[in-house]
Amino acid sequence: MIDLQTVNANVSRVPFFRFLNFEVQSLDNLHAEAEMTFESRHIGNPVMEHYHGGIIASFMEATAAIAVHPDFADVPAKPINLTVDYLRPGMKGPLYARADVTRKGKRIASLSVITWQIEREKPIAEGLYHFLLV
Amino acid sequence: MSDISKTKMEQIAQMWNARGKGLITHMALDIEDVSSEGVRVRMPFNPDFCVDSDQTLLHGGILTALLDSVFGLANFVSIEGVSTMATLDLRVDYLRPARSRSDVIVRAHCFRKTRHIAFNSGSICFDGHEDAEIARGTASFALTRGDVSLFDAMTKGKTRD
Repeated sequence: MIDLQTVNANVSRVPFFRFLNFEVQSLDNLHAEAEMTFESRHIGNPVMEHYHGGIIASFMEATAAIAVHPDFADVPAKPINLTVDYLRPGMKGPLYARADVTRKGKRIASLSVITWQIEREKPIAEGLYHFLLV
Repeated sequence: MSDISKTKMEQIAQMWNARGKGLITHMALDIEDVSSEGVRVRMPFNPDFCVDSDQTLLHGGILTALLDSVFGLANFVSIEGVSTMATLDLRVDYLRPARSRSDVIVRAHCFRKTRHIAFNSGSICFDGHEDAEIARGTASFALTRGDVSLFDAMTKGKTRD
């Protein structure tokens, strides 16, 4: 199994992952967890300083891509599609994501992703993501 | 553009330009066309949004973020008296690898609005390659209506939530 240091070194080579500014915190064959640092460029609602919904979905996609293919050499796993349910506003502060591999076949992987801030029991968003493995 | 009043067009441009911070500013979006039929927005190529070291392949997430933003604009244009707007859910299909350094063009419209909910659909392609769609999305938004307009909330900091 690939170590976290190598994964985070791979992450830091992806321009858009640097834009998101997150770190992978735990990883095995079936899941990945990551923490994203709040940046002003992540803001969607400038008055309330909430995260942009697209940044939340992007962070979830990034975490899912790492869970499905942690030792990517250059480009992360290829996404096919996604659905996201936005449950609460994402406030200024760190955001956490956990991606679980529901099924990983020869060609396609399905993952469910959850993201939260203070309490895991109060999710900010939940999503389903598909990736093409070929 | 004739069915949208000049005042509203000015408000829209002001609302997006007055933000000054956040993702929409970073994406440097340019509103190209606005009507009650829908909106067309251009995003210049930005290497920060790429996944590869050559910086020619856009990350899917930025396309999702673009759709979410432009849906919000389409709702603002086509619905009167919106006070707040929150994305309920979003589905995006990535139809092709987004490999190009061309500008990105997003088209979006609100195909159904009720008192509480707006339904949107949109499509993304590279400038000059309108026949090769790279992503398509649908979303629903929860609306609240009231005397503090979204425009006032965005520009003057008034909000009831």
